[in-house]
Amino acid sequence: MEIDEVISFLKRHAPFDAQSADHIASLARKIEVRYFPRGTVIIDVGKENRALSIVRSGAVELRLGGTDLNHRLGEGGVFGYLSLLHHELTRNKVIALEDCLIYQLPKEDFLKWLKHHESLRIFFAKDDAERLHRAVEGLHRTENGYGDAGMIAVKLETLLRRKDVVTASPNDTIRDAAKRMAQADVSTLPITHQGKLVGIMTDKDLRRRVLGQEIPLDEPVSSVMTPDPITMTLDDGLLSAMLVMSQKNIHHFPIVDSANQIVGVISSSDLLNRFGMNALQVVAEIKAAPDAATVAIAAQRVGAVLTNLIESGVDADHIARFVSNIGETTHRQLLKLAEDQLGPPPVPYALVVFGSLARQEQAGGSDQDNGFVLDDRYNPAEHAPYFEQLATLLCDGLNSAGYIYCPGDIMATNEKWRQPLAVWKDRYRNWIEKPDPENVLNTTIFFDMRCVAGEEGLVDILRAQIFEWSSANRIFLSFIARAASNTKVPLGFFRNFLLQHDEKEGHVLDLKHQAIAPVVDIARVYALALGLADVNSKERLKMAVERGSLGPEEASNLIDCFEFIHSVRFRHQSNQIKRGEPLTNNLSPTSLSRFEREHLKDAFRIIRNHMDRISRTYAGGIQ
Amino acid sequence: MKLDWQNWFYKKHFAQHWERAKKAAKSTPMDHYYDALLPEDMLLDDTPLVALDFESDGLKKDAQLLEAGWVRIIDRAVKLKTAQQLRIQAGSRLQEAAVIIHRITDDAAAKGQQEADVLALLLETLKGSAIVAHGAAVEHAFLNTACLRNFGVPFVGRFICTMHLEKRWFPKQRTADGLRLGKLRAQYGLPSYRAHDGLTDAIACGELFLAQCARRKVENLLLKDVLMKG
Repeated sequence: MEIDEVISFLKRHAPFDAQSADHIASLARKIEVRYFPRGTVIIDVGKENRALSIVRSGAVELRLGGTDLNHRLGEGGVFGYLSLLHHELTRNKVIALEDCLIYQLPKEDFLKWLKHHESLRIFFAKDDAERLHRAVEGLHRTENGYGDAGMIAVKLETLLRRKDVVTASPNDTIRDAAKRMAQADVSTLPITHQGKLVGIMTDKDLRRRVLGQEIPLDEPVSSVMTPDPITMTLDDGLLSAMLVMSQKNIHHFPIVDSANQIVGVISSSDLLNRFGMNALQVVAEIKAAPDAATVAIAAQRVGAVLTNLIESGVDADHIARFVSNIGETTHRQLLKLAEDQLGPPPVPYALVVFGSLARQEQAGGSDQDNGFVLDDRYNPAEHAPYFEQLATLLCDGLNSAGYIYCPGDIMATNEKWRQPLAVWKDRYRNWIEKPDPENVLNTTIFFDMRCVAGEEGLVDILRAQIFEWSSANRIFLSFIARAASNTKVPLGFFRNFLLQHDEKEGHVLDLKHQAIAPVVDIARVYALALGLADVNSKERLKMAVERGSLGPEEASNLIDCFEFIHSVRFRHQSNQIKRGEPLTNNLSPTSLSRFEREHLKDAFRIIRNHMDRISRTYAGGIQ
Repeated sequence: MKLDWQNWFYKKHFAQHWERAKKAAKSTPMDHYYDALLPEDMLLDDTPLVALDFESDGLKKDAQLLEAGWVRIIDRAVKLKTAQQLRIQAGSRLQEAAVIIHRITDDAAAKGQQEADVLALLLETLKGSAIVAHGAAVEHAFLNTACLRNFGVPFVGRFICTMHLEKRWFPKQRTADGLRLGKLRAQYGLPSYRAHDGLTDAIACGELFLAQCARRKVENLLLKDVLMKG
């Protein structure tokens, strides 16, 4: 006898889903079902816990020590395992947020189960950090499938442009078949009989076998087609397809399904387009572009590069660097073309970028944030028109290339951000020495700054000056730290209706502001406190470890979080690209896979803990 | 004290029925069952409960029992360890309509056990326990008929009807199907289950009972506060 309802529920939820059918059935038999109306306490703090709990329906809230909101769980959520694993008294108070039906697995059954299934330890691993780390590792393995073989994992299915396949039957005349090819503008015509593929006729066949041998056009297609052509299936990989093409010297082949029904035709150019769409090629094209329009065309391919990299199993950090590299090259080339047009600059200057491009953490859909740091010999009456025109050419070019105008007008076209070094210094000094709590959030972006073209020396001087001021100024640091620790990290985004209760978190998860920005903020606090020259968040965290301000363990946990969130973001953007939608950083919690959901929750907890730490270390005294 | 009369009658009638049945059960397989009379003023939390559901090929007196599903409720928890689901061998061809509802075919039913064997097992479980069912009058009638048919002894026991309880504790205007198990469960935020499998229905009914008692918010309920009377 099997308890079907319980079994089918367990099968849908981790970690039970990974268990064998027999095992799930036997676990189901050990469960005790309890009901808790909304507002009742399911587990209290400091008590002995006797069972592992699973939310069958409803939602619960875990409060650390009974007060601090720690976690919310919905259907399928599992709680109460830490106290069981470590034979401790409970540390969380668990309250029913809604009427809840809870499945409980008695302690002894849980421990017995765990003993025999080592893999479960991962799920119930003491910290969120370890679980996340394994998830990030696993991500690349599953993405890639073959170690680091890259392209090999790409299936033909992703290359096939889905449209109706034009076909002919073997008894059609050559004339009709040729007309059909012309009308549909195809160079390959699959010949089918009763839905099954029996042959293929190409442009080349028409030339060689029909015109070349003067075969009458009224003859049936079957007399000139290539019978039983080489076919591939949607499941075949891109590399094996390329291999077959080069070995057999063919340029097209039909794709069939398991019933030998034709589903499409793939040409060698389809494969080459795909293969050629890599970051390095796009960068080379941008560098070689003779004008801004050509730069724009090449730079717009960043979307294809992104999807391509994701499907090749490249990790998020590298993807961000590739994408940033394309952005940087676009800036540089546009500036070079503008200088070619306007002549050499009258005084030295540097093009600086701010924000994600400066940190080399750019994703798709970024706007532009830039400015000119001019040499102090700059004389507005004389030189202003040149730099104004230069800025216009640059920013217009960037906008055409997909880096839209900055909504906050942080662009070199704005006179405010086109100033001599001395003015920049004053401005930073002002931000640092007279921090304004209202304004501090708006200035953080300027502390992620990098020179991408021109006189790097100007930016080096500026940066050295900034760090000298910032690292010595506790009050400024405390403002920055406080701003960083005030970001609302979502903990309760796992169910739509809970989101509705929470006005601040809204319906969507804004990956950029709610997940990525907090880590960036944390890394920046360390950079400013320690005077780190690095702009990249990961590098900043690593440097903070070297300088002894951050434990190696903590840093690697944060880096894992960052990597994981970025990978979710890139995958989300890759899907948007495939659907032809504009790129955003907002995603609906329902679009997350269970895997992503679980680990995002871990990531958010790690981030939140670290925000508390930052606030304790640097924001002490200011409330 | 308006329920006193009702209680008095119930008490008197129950005692009479119980004694009469107990006598009739002497030296039958049901003898044992009548050893343990459950006192009605015992704390509900201390009362052993069994959620029960029968599947049959109809609701008439001569309906065939096809399946019995049950599970114990102890300490305000449905204990799946105690879950049982037994197929009962059909004596005659199944009536078609019921088969469609329960998805039990002749072949599957034929694999079941003898009705008397299933009853013996069930009576063992029910001894000293109160029975929780949704529409308990039906379960009562089935049990009674089956016991008479197999052992010539009527069935007397303590029944808790979740449908009754809902009407009594939470009276309000309802639609015609407003008291159906699935509808009520939804009101308590309980998940929806595939209906009409003996065990699933027994579990579903047990969970509903837990939810009803939780929402009632009365401390120290007694068995008699929840019993179906008359």
